[in-house]
Amino acid sequence: MSKISAENIEDLCAGAAFLATGGGGDPYVSQLLAIRLLEEHGPATLMSVGDIPDDFTVLAIGMVGAPTVTLEQLPTLDESVKAFDAYEEYTGKKIDAVIPFEVGGGNSTIPLAVAAMRNVPCIDGDGMGRALPEAQMMTFPIYGAHPTPAVLSDSWGNSAVLHSNDAHTFEKHIRAMAIAMGGMITSAEHCMDGALARRATVPGTITFAVELGKLLRQHDGLIDAIEPQLYELFASSDYGTVKKLYSGKVIDSKRQIVDGYDVGTATLQSFDNNVEPMTLLIKNEYLVASVGDKVVTSVPDLICIVEQETSRPLNAERMRYGQRVTVFGVGCTEHYQSPEALKVTSPRAFGFDIDHVPLSEIDHE
Amino acid sequence: MRIGIDVGGTHTDAVVMNGNDVLATFKALTSADVKTGIIEALDAVMARASLNAADITAVMIGTTQFTNAVIERRELSPTAIIRACLPTGTGIPPMCDWPEDIAAELGTNEYRVFGGHIFDGSEIHALDEAQIKQVAEDIRDKGIKAIAIAAAFSPMEHAHEFRISELVREVIPDASITLSHEIGRLGIIERENAALLNAALGELATRVINSMTEALNERNLHCPFYVSQNDGTLMAADFIARYPALTFASGPTNSLRGAAVLSGIDDAIVVDIGGTTSDVGVLAGGFPRESNSYVDVGGVRTNFRMPDIMAVGLGGGSLVNEDGSQIGPKSVGHRLVTEGLVFGGDQLTSTDIIVASGAQDVGNPEKVKHLSAELIEAATQTMHRIVDDAIDKMRPSEEPVPIILVGGGSILITRELSTASRVICPEHAEVANAVGAAIAPAGGEVESIVSYGKISREEAIAAATKEAEDKAIAAGADPDRLRVLDIEENPMSYMADNAVKLRVKVVGELVQGNKS
Repeated sequence: MSKISAENIEDLCAGAAFLATGGGGDPYVSQLLAIRLLEEHGPATLMSVGDIPDDFTVLAIGMVGAPTVTLEQLPTLDESVKAFDAYEEYTGKKIDAVIPFEVGGGNSTIPLAVAAMRNVPCIDGDGMGRALPEAQMMTFPIYGAHPTPAVLSDSWGNSAVLHSNDAHTFEKHIRAMAIAMGGMITSAEHCMDGALARRATVPGTITFAVELGKLLRQHDGLIDAIEPQLYELFASSDYGTVKKLYSGKVIDSKRQIVDGYDVGTATLQSFDNNVEPMTLLIKNEYLVASVGDKVVTSVPDLICIVEQETSRPLNAERMRYGQRVTVFGVGCTEHYQSPEALKVTSPRAFGFDIDHVPLSEIDHE
Repeated sequence: MRIGIDVGGTHTDAVVMNGNDVLATFKALTSADVKTGIIEALDAVMARASLNAADITAVMIGTTQFTNAVIERRELSPTAIIRACLPTGTGIPPMCDWPEDIAAELGTNEYRVFGGHIFDGSEIHALDEAQIKQVAEDIRDKGIKAIAIAAAFSPMEHAHEFRISELVREVIPDASITLSHEIGRLGIIERENAALLNAALGELATRVINSMTEALNERNLHCPFYVSQNDGTLMAADFIARYPALTFASGPTNSLRGAAVLSGIDDAIVVDIGGTTSDVGVLAGGFPRESNSYVDVGGVRTNFRMPDIMAVGLGGGSLVNEDGSQIGPKSVGHRLVTEGLVFGGDQLTSTDIIVASGAQDVGNPEKVKHLSAELIEAATQTMHRIVDDAIDKMRPSEEPVPIILVGGGSILITRELSTASRVICPEHAEVANAVGAAIAPAGGEVESIVSYGKISREEAIAAATKEAEDKAIAAGADPDRLRVLDIEENPMSYMADNAVKLRVKVVGELVQGNKS
């Protein structure tokens, strides 16, 4: 078992921003909070997915709601740990380990803080390997975990217990509760035994995000210079192939809110005049990338965009005309390649009339 | 007739203007003593325009003194912060991400109390007045007068910040209080930091205003005087003692606004080429496009209304490598006049290249005769490419845009720019900053989160516009000459009821005549 300490958090957040595929919100607040908690309570212990004992009880924990709310309503020191405690109290279960919903964005740090404060390990893995907007898109429900009972807690010490029939219903309920409880809540959910957690978790993503973030932050220069290291890093991970899809500048970016999501498109133009523009379809995250009429990457494969000159990951909210960017396609982990997973995460699950073709099968020449 | 004076870090510029016409200009190195420098500038421009004190209707002053105080960590007062957020917000204490040296100047005087609001306007918690009184007594016992107050969601609901301020003043009647909603936007960490910096600058601001007032009085200028703000509008001089931090980016803003007036173009990109860097900014409707993200001031993360400026390392003193493929960011800066080749020095600078190309006649052209044609061509292309690239990143769309060149280094641009529909080098560009100060209007801005599910869009915009107009009038605008400069609506993700971040900005010409 390894440790994650306060000194690793900035690297983790930078790597998490890359894997967030444009979503995940501004991680600054969660970064500050995690650094503070790990400084105070000592490092968190990380447990590899393969080491989870069968009889372990593993609890997923993270924040749900509007990232904009946390800009004003700052988290309490013990908000996430209160959800953990309330879960144990309500269910009578003893929780042996915690696990993040998603490695992408601010939610990567929450379980680490809980792990440090309650002296339980945090699993080195997550339920997405990236960021996705809805609960039923997590690997936990896809591979058999039930989302509820779920305990939701807010900054005032209120809590609520949800029992929902399935993951889709749970998503609807938790979204409504988040608004009723101040706009941002902590949720403890998708409790799993060790065997299920081993099967349903995308493994190794926390340590991977730290390594990735370290590479990006230490470099802090032209992305071209670290492409070989980036490919090498991904090759040693559970992610599939990495391909550089496009280099160009943002020439258009539009978005609007539809049913509580940031929906929009962005257009990139290559520096090479012979190459057609790239179009990105966005629903919180970058979901589909096309060059001309041809889809070059689609969800659940990852579309990761960095600013060319700094190698910093670019959030969809911050995208604007003139930015020079490099777009990478990253093959999703094995967990998202099954028919069950594709049913809830392929472009059609987001309402796009596009079939998912795995990145590795697309001819990018 | 108006006088505009811009007191920069290096130069002080001054102009006399009649409407949009420049009658006289003045430029000198900034003096160590503000008062002497302002008197010198006033005397010079009034003599050059043959005017008396009675002819002047207003004086506008832009200053970088407050920015420099923060960057250099000097003349900052011990300051307390009261944040109304409990029971939330215990996870992130105020000033937790400040550089240690500047945090030490303000001291550790951090208080969190019950209060603040949530996104829908309801209270996080009612204020606990006994608790606030106790905090105020503690601050009083420490002898601290500068106090910042920040409440969660205060940009949309000010009541708690106002009430805390009243309670503090009961205990410390002469406290110098900054309310965060008056100077920052949504984002409590950044807004609270902005309020802290503002409060810490209060005493310095009073001294600066006193010396400015003395300078004007000594020259019998009893007309109203104003100070320029980051957003290109003015505040009456008695306001600056309360809001010194709102001047942080007034230099670049005045340069942009001045460029607009001098060229007569309201929508353009302005490239201000100095000795070491080129500042590229966007003019939209005569005002600078503002940055959407947070702004770093001396290592402190803030969210002031600042112009969106991109600085690239090309100036008149930028060093050129042996084959001309790289220019800057290293520069000899103001030592160009001794170290550049054409001035008898031994450093190859961008200015030397332009002289060698024959496009400009500066210094001694004999000193650059030995430079090869290949080097001159390559370096000339590099310079134009750097500027073209910067413009390309800043322009709002792919359409070629008018480019206004200002600053001493603008002689570097001798060819066409591919991003430009045309290039304009207006007369008096060297004093664009002072012109920008002289022609500025008064303004007011409001930002809030509104729910179009609960109130119609038209009603919400009308209410915000009214509030912004009231602020502009309070800042000195003529109620009959107000105009809405900008309405910005940003939908918030994951929120129901069509929650939208709405921002309205109103500007208005100053009330004519003597105010005092």
